This record gives sequence, C-alpha cells and structure tokens, in this order.
Amino acid sequence: MKYDPSKYCHNLKKIAEDVTHATPVSSLTWELEGGDDPMSKKRRGDFCAVHSTPQKKIKGQKNQASAASPAVRARPHMVPGSLHPTQQEVAREAPCERITAQLPRVSASHSQKLNNVFVQTSGMGTTRHRNHRSDDDTDSEEEIRLLIAREESLGKTTWSSVGDSANEPFEVVGGDFRSGVPKLCSVTAAGMGNDCDYDSGDTDEIIAAKKKTDKVKNSAEFSQMEKPAHKKTSAKNRKNCELSGNCVKAQKRKTNPERAIGARVTAQCAGSASESAESAGDEEYDAMMRNCLRVQLTLADLEQLAGSNLQVPEEDPESGGDGQETTTKCDRTPGGLHRARPCICPEDIVAALLEGEENTCGKQKPKEDSIKPKFQAFKGVGSLYGKESIKKPLKESVASDNINEDQDSLKVGPGSMSMEKGSPPANGSSSKLTPLQRTKKANNPNPNQTQPQKRHSTFQSQDHKMVSPSSSEDRSRNPVSSLLPLKDKSLSLGAKTPKVGVDEDCHHRTGETGEGSGQSSSPMPGKALEGSSRRDTQGSNTNFPLSVNSWSDVRAKEKHAEDNQKRLAALEAKQKAKEVRKKLVHNALADLDGHPEDKPTHIIFGSDSETEEQSHPGEEPMKESVNRASGRLFDSSEDEESGSEDDSHRFTIKPQFEGRAGQKLLDLQSHFGTDDRFRMDSRFLESDSEEEQEEVNDEKTAEEEELAAEKLKALDVMQSVLHTTVGNSAHKGSLPAKKFRDVIHYDPTRHDHATYERKSDDKPKESKAKRRKKREEAEKLPEVSKEMYYSVAADLKEIFQTTKVTSETTDDTPSSENHDGEKVDIHHPATPTTGAEEPGGFTFSFFDSDAKEEKEDAYRAEPVKTGKVVWQGAPRFQDSSSEEEDVAEEETEGRKPSPREASLPEKETTRFFFFSKNDERLHVGSDLFWRGVGNNISRNSWEARTNSLRMDCRKKHKDAKRRVKPK
Amino acid sequence: MRPLTEEETRVMFEKIAKYIGENLQLLVDRPDGAYCFRLHNDRVYYVSEKILKLAANISGDKLVSLGTCFGKFTKTHKFRLHITALDYLAPYAKYKVWIKPGAEQSFLYGNHVLKSGLGRITENTCQYQGVVVYSMADVPLGFGVAAKSTQDCRKVDPMAIVVFHQADIGEYVRHEETLT
Repeated sequence: MKYDPSKYCHNLKKIAEDVTHATPVSSLTWELEGGDDPMSKKRRGDFCAVHSTPQKKIKGQKNQASAASPAVRARPHMVPGSLHPTQQEVAREAPCERITAQLPRVSASHSQKLNNVFVQTSGMGTTRHRNHRSDDDTDSEEEIRLLIAREESLGKTTWSSVGDSANEPFEVVGGDFRSGVPKLCSVTAAGMGNDCDYDSGDTDEIIAAKKKTDKVKNSAEFSQMEKPAHKKTSAKNRKNCELSGNCVKAQKRKTNPERAIGARVTAQCAGSASESAESAGDEEYDAMMRNCLRVQLTLADLEQLAGSNLQVPEEDPESGGDGQETTTKCDRTPGGLHRARPCICPEDIVAALLEGEENTCGKQKPKEDSIKPKFQAFKGVGSLYGKESIKKPLKESVASDNINEDQDSLKVGPGSMSMEKGSPPANGSSSKLTPLQRTKKANNPNPNQTQPQKRHSTFQSQDHKMVSPSSSEDRSRNPVSSLLPLKDKSLSLGAKTPKVGVDEDCHHRTGETGEGSGQSSSPMPGKALEGSSRRDTQGSNTNFPLSVNSWSDVRAKEKHAEDNQKRLAALEAKQKAKEVRKKLVHNALADLDGHPEDKPTHIIFGSDSETEEQSHPGEEPMKESVNRASGRLFDSSEDEESGSEDDSHRFTIKPQFEGRAGQKLLDLQSHFGTDDRFRMDSRFLESDSEEEQEEVNDEKTAEEEELAAEKLKALDVMQSVLHTTVGNSAHKGSLPAKKFRDVIHYDPTRHDHATYERKSDDKPKESKAKRRKKREEAEKLPEVSKEMYYSVAADLKEIFQTTKVTSETTDDTPSSENHDGEKVDIHHPATPTTGAEEPGGFTFSFFDSDAKEEKEDAYRAEPVKTGKVVWQGAPRFQDSSSEEEDVAEEETEGRKPSPREASLPEKETTRFFFFSKNDERLHVGSDLFWRGVGNNISRNSWEARTNSLRMDCRKKHKDAKRRVKPK
Repeated sequence: MRPLTEEETRVMFEKIAKYIGENLQLLVDRPDGAYCFRLHNDRVYYVSEKILKLAANISGDKLVSLGTCFGKFTKTHKFRLHITALDYLAPYAKYKVWIKPGAEQSFLYGNHVLKSGLGRITENTCQYQGVVVYSMADVPLGFGVAAKSTQDCRKVDPMAIVVFHQADIGEYVRHEETLT
C-alpha cells in the first residue's frame, strides 16, 4: 500500500504519527519526559534492577538464537555494521539511573574512545577556546595562524609514530568523488538545519546498510524467525514469573535489548513523524518502509512484555493471543491495577503499529490485503469459524506454518492500537489526539465519534474480560468485525453514501445518524452488531472450554486485522461516496451553467432574485435527486454552490481595470458610480498609460543596470582574486562561446562554410593535367645547352688512329667473329690471351718503344677490349642483370662451362671496364638477388607465410565485421 | 544595507575562493537569476534580486537579516565566514574532508578534526586549504582549514589535527543569538 496524502485513511495514520511527535525532545534524545516515579520509568521502558550489557546480549543471542526476541534478532544487521554501539542507545539509556551504572560497560570501547579523543585534544591544547566566537575581533586567519604555531610546537612529537596511523586508515579520494552512501533523506542533505530527526551519521549508516538487506530479508526471514523466538521468550517469561514473581532481574537481561529496540522504535517513529510532517509523501513512505522492521519487532516485543509480569490490561487480548494467559495470569492479576506501559508511551506504539500495519500491507501481501476484506465480508461469521478450525491444527504444528501466524500477529497491531487508544492510560494521549484530528480532519464529519467509540469498545472488552478473560472478549469482537464488512458493503453498494465511518458508530451509537442515506442503513447493522456481540459474549462462555488458548489467539489477531481492514475499506467507501456526491454537485452545477448563458447580457436591477428564480427551475430536479441521495449536507452545499456561482460572476476580473491605467479607469468609474451609462471599458484606457509603463520599465531597467554593473564589478574583483586560475576563465560566460566559435563545426549547408571546403575538385584535374605535363617533361630529354659541349680533341683522333693502325691487325678478327657470338667469344679470348695477352702488353710496348708506348698500350688494350666486349659480351651481361631470372639463369648456366674452358687466364683477358667476363662478383650479386636452387625453400616458406597472413587478414576482417554488425 | 565596496568584495571573495575556488563564479553569475551581496550590520548577505527589492521596503534599522548571511566583517576589516554560508559552499567545495561518525560530535562541538576522526579526504589537498567537512553520510557538517596536506595526513600521528575548525552546524545551536 502506498501512502497517498489525499486519502483520509492515510492521513488518519499520519495524524497518529504527528501526535507521537508532540515532544520533539524525545525524538532527539530518545528520552521520555517524566519524573522518577516508577510509572514514568516504566513508560520509558526502564524496569527495576536491570544489569546487563546489550552488546554481550547481542552476541550471546547470536549464538543461541534462543533468547532471541525478534527485536534483538534485527540487531545483527546493525551491530557488525557499526563499530560502536549507536550513540542513540547510549543516550537512550542515560536517563534511567539504573542503567547508567552499566553505561561504561555497555559502550566501553566507544565511550572510551570518545573520552580519549577529548582528553587528547585538551591535552594537546587543541580544544577550542572559540566559544566566544561571534563578536571577537580576532580574525579566523589569525586564529589559524596561532593554532598552526601551536601545532608546530607540538608537532615534532606527534609526527613520530607512523605505525599507529596504519590502524586508522582513511580514504583519499579524487576531486569528483561521490560517496556511495545513498542519501537517506534529501531533507538532511539539502538543508541541514531544518531536520530535527537526523542526529548523527551512525543511524544513517546503519539504516543505509540495513535498508537493502532488510527489505529482502524482512518478510521472509522475519516471519520464520519470529514465531520460535516468540514462543521461547514467552516460555522464558513464564519461567521467570514462576521463579521470581514481579521483579525479574534475570529476565531483565533479556528484556533489555528489547526495550532498547522499543525505545528505538519510538525514536524512529518520532523521527519519521516529524519527517512526514515536513516532507513529501514519498519520503514519508520511505520512512515508513524503513521503520517497517522495527515496528514488527515491537509488536512481538509488546506481546512478550505483556506475557511477562509487566501488566498491560489493554494488551490482554494480544497477550492472550500468545497462549500465555494461563501461566501469566497470576502475574497479571496483581499487575492489572497498574496502568503502566511496559515498553513505551502508547502514542509511540500506536504510531509504530500503524506504520507496521501499513508496511505489512504494502510489502508482504498486498494482494491478500486487497482481496481479503471482500472475502471475509462475504463469508461472514461462519467463515471465521471455518478458518479457525483450519488454523487450529496449523497452530499445533507451529513451526511449519509460521507465515500465516505472523501475518496475523502483525495484523493484530491496528486492532490492539484501537484498543489502546481508548484505554485509560492512553487517555491523555487520546485527548491529545482528538483535537488534532478535529482540526486536521475538518472534512471528516465524525472524528470525535470514533474516539469515544473505541474507548467504549475497549471498556466493553474489559468488561467481558472480567467474565471470561481472553476468549470472550475476542468473541465479542469477532462477530462485530465479521459483520462490519458486510455492512460496509451494503452501504457502499447500495447508496454510495458519504458516511462509512459508521462501522464504529453503529457499534456504539446506533441511534446516531450518519449523513445522507447512510442514516437508513446504519441503524440496522449497528443493532445487529450489538446483538451479535452480546450473543457472542454469552456464547463465548460456552465456547471457551472448547477453544484452546491458541485458537482464541488466532481469532483475536484475525479479528483485529479484519477490523482494521474493514476500517480501511469503510474509509475508502466513504471517499468514494464523497466523490460521487461531488460528481452530483458538479453535474448539477454544470446544468446550472447552461442557464446563466441564457441570462440577458444587460443588467437588470435587483437581478439577484430573478436570476435565482431562473436558476431554480433548472436546479429543482437535480436537487431532488441529490436530496434523495445525500440528504441535508447537500442542501447546505447546494446553497453555497449556487451562491458561489453568482459570486463568481460578480467577482470576475475586468480586464480594463487591470494595471495602472486600469486603476485610473476604476477611479473614474467609482467617481461615476454604478451608473450604467458611464460604464468604463477598455476604450477609455488612456494612451499615456504606455508612457507610464515605460517609466516603470525605465526604473526597472535602471535597477537592473545597477545590478548588472555590480555584478560586473564583482566579476572583476573575482578575476583579480582568482587571478591565476580564473584569469583565463574569468569570462567564463564569454569564453566558452568564443571557444565554441573557434572550434568550427563544418556545416555544408551553410554558404559561408564554403571557405572551409577544400577545393578538391579543381586540384585533381589540374594535377592530372600537370601530371601529364610533368610526365611529358620528365620524358623529354633534358635540353642540353649547346654552349656546353665537349670538344673532342684531335688528340683522340690521333690516338685512335694510332690504335687503329696498331690494332687493325689484331682487331679484324674480333670484328669478324662478332657475328659468331659465343664461339667467337670463347675463341677470341683464348687465342690472343693465351699467348699474346701478357706478352701482348709487353709486345705492344715492345712495338712502340719505351714507357710512353707502354702507357699507350695499356690505354689501347682496354679500349680495344671494351669495344669488343661492348659488342659481344656487354649485352649479355647487362641482360643477365636486367632480364628475368630464368633467362639469366639459363645464360649463366650456358655460359658457365665456357669460362671453365677458358679457365683462369681468360679472366684477365675478358676483362672490360672493371669486370672481367663471368666475373665472380657478378655471380655473387646475382646470387644475392636470386638464390637459384635454394629458392624452393624460401618460396615454400613464403607461400606458407602468405597463406597464414591471408588467413589472419580474413579473420581480422571477419571479426571487424562481426563487431560492427551488432552495433 | 549597501552594496559591498570593491575592497570588501575582494576580501570576501578571497575568503570564499579558499573553499570553492573558481566555483565562486557560479555564485556571482548565476543563471537562475540575479544574486548580489549586500552589507548590512557588518554582515554580508547573499540575496536574490527579488528579495532585495522586497527588503528595500524595510527600514535599515529594523531589518535584521535578508537572504543568506555569508559572514561578517570584523573590525579589522577581515572577513569571517559563518556557518550559514555552508549551504552555498558545500555543493561547490573543491576539497572535502569526511569525518568518521565517532568524530562528528567532537567536530560539531567546535573541535578540530583529528586524524583519528578522518574518514576520507580529497586527494591533493594542500596545507591550509579551505575544506568542507562532511559526515560519512555526506552531510555537510561545516568547514575548516586543512592543517596537513593529504600526503602528510598519511604519515601523521592519529592524534594530530588534520583540519582546523572554522565553522560547524553546531553553531546553529551554540551561536543561535548571533547567527542571522
């Protein structure tokens, strides 16, 4: 169920919460006001002679899980989470003196630590002396300087221990750190001043840590765990009762944590109440959800406490529900005189229960809740019996079917609440409640009826109890509750009347009327209820022996739950009825609206009566129907509505009287009076009004200018203050814009962006042409300047002539051999070289005398050979290098044998330029270039490599494709 | 009530800039409306233009406060930030310190933050840098001055002060009569 502020039933609860927050101090300190008298102590949840350490208890309880009151069980969530026991606890326990003795023990570590801190700080002289802060003239900087100086004097000693610091690590976070702790309430974060319920990080952290786990665990775990714990605690209580009557010192140990949680509940409730008062619905809802767990706990807590020797007459039905009645009765009877609340003040419990109820409704079984009222309503009394009979065996089997039980027990809350409200000890609170409710529920016709009604019912129940303590009272309520939904149904279905809160009314004030047609229906069920209740109370005595205690418990719980659901249903029905009524009124008025239009536009003096007359005929049928439907309330409202209708016409805003010029007009109009002939309308608006407006505008602009100037000034100052950092970012407003302009995003649609276009279209064309040209140019042989030339000297001619003369004899053969090719090639070197070459050189020198001739010979010999080789060998050699490998191979292969034949002496003869024919170096070069036979290996490896590379490439391509596709 | 002089503005801005740096600009030049600083009874108020106009209807001697009080000028014409400015400092704070729950109370009573109470600190916080103090639940608790740089904080003794107290929200209670 979600909190809806517009719903009355929700608001009802809200009010209850508000009341709990009557004392804001309690919400802050977890302290309940009251004196030292035992009553108030007990209200605070402080019982005599308690000596226990909650912490130990918690641990022990973890181990045992036996003494675990459900209240304590919730603790494990928080305990490990928080390093120290929460401060609230300490604060809570502080007020009661008996526990103060334990305090050091309770939070030994924590308080010690705090003390340490304080002591140390004071010891170091760091405690503040700045309480007189506000008006002292010392500047904070100076203070800081002083502090720093002091620090430094002490600092040398403090810097030493590095190892210790490891014990207390702290986080270092980046500048943009956001803590993971969820903001619990935006109120606290936003304006820290206004929320009173935030007290320290402890609670928040704990809650934050718990929040998630709780929500998950809560429903499941709790329901399972509660029951056994329940039983055990009750059993223990019983034991304790037997052992030591009233003061249960040993038992206190167990109750202590419970009490603590009870107190916590109050605090939480108070906090949530204050929150809810302030904040929006969602937050409220959150708060409620947060409190869900604790509320449930307290319920069990209450039950347990009731089971113990702490007497709660109002809770008797509940405690009876625990099946402890037989055993605990002895305790209760003496205690029945006491009106003290064992745990806390009733308002808190009420609030807690309310919340708990809401939560359970919302969380655990929303569906069931929504469905239940209907079913139960139709089933009636018989179904209840049937149910009980079903539940009876279940109860006996106990552990197996906890869930139903728990739901029931949870639902008991509201029921018990209603009883508590009426109960004597809560009288004070209820009296507080009522005025508030009256004010808040101004719309709600009978807020005050409910209260006395409830009280009455409780009184009744108490009376019944006198007769038959537990079950009879239960019985008395059961039929009522079972009947109530029926009645509600009839109300809502039949007439849709506004009054449905009748469920309580009818019980008590049968004669009293609701409103509208509810009158007719209400007395009947009311009587029936009373009758049935009486019958049941009588019959209960007979039933009592039959029913086991547990049985009655179940029924009591059930009944409470049903009661509550019926109440809710009733409220809803009421709201529906209200809406219906509104609709009726609305329709009626809508019909009326048609008539005013028919009204003459001109004003008829004394028109009021006439218009009314006119409107009445139209209204009449509606009115009648309405009267039938909703009786007298509507009569009054109808009058009002019609009046307001007229008023709305009367007070319509006339546009011509708006503004300053309008004021003038209005003055004029008032001057003329109501004379029809001098009606002022917009035509009379003076034109000078514009000027006035301009003046006003000028004033405004002047102000704005001033402000703007001030702002500029401030900005300037700021710039100077933040010179380095803001120097560039000073004009933050303008700079980003500038920057943005700088970073130009090319927009092809914009013409001015054409400047940013690269004219790629022209260039390629040009470049093509250019390229051609270039190519052509490149192909063209460079022009050789004719000025530069080599003049071939006549010397050469002479030289050649001389060589020709000399070589003709020898050279004729090569020239002739030229045609033969290789043969000649082989042949030729062989012939001259073998005999002639070396000697030939000499011979030449011999021919021509002396060294000069030798030089010439040397010179001659080479050109001759070059000439030969150029003709013969050169093409082949060049081919071999330039041609395809295969050809070259063939050639070399073909040629290789020949040099062998020619053998060593050839080499020098076939030499031309720097190479001899078949020069080894050339072969080496070709080998380097091409490996010949060995190439197979390399080729294979190369092929393998290419294959692998290809595969890789394809793979990558596929991967890339795959990656691209999903996106 | 009057606008601040240039000198006053400078002094105040210098102070505020210690905590929020260039984010100061966001206070001066707000997109959501014109805001300005006004001096009244030696106190500097940060006021929206709207409020300013409304406040102009009240005589100066009767006017107690308007807008948000950022702090006051001491008699030596230095500026002292008040806790009331926290609402504006906290969201823009450049350097933050989070304190452990156990140390919260101590801080809120006006004590300095010891290293033992230091839960978290922004990296690169230098010494004497203005820091805003948060609880571990990210509730701004006040502000102070870093007594040690982040690096020094690692080495320092647990009982050493890491943040000098300047203002805390406990002052809302402790200095109720002087806060405006």
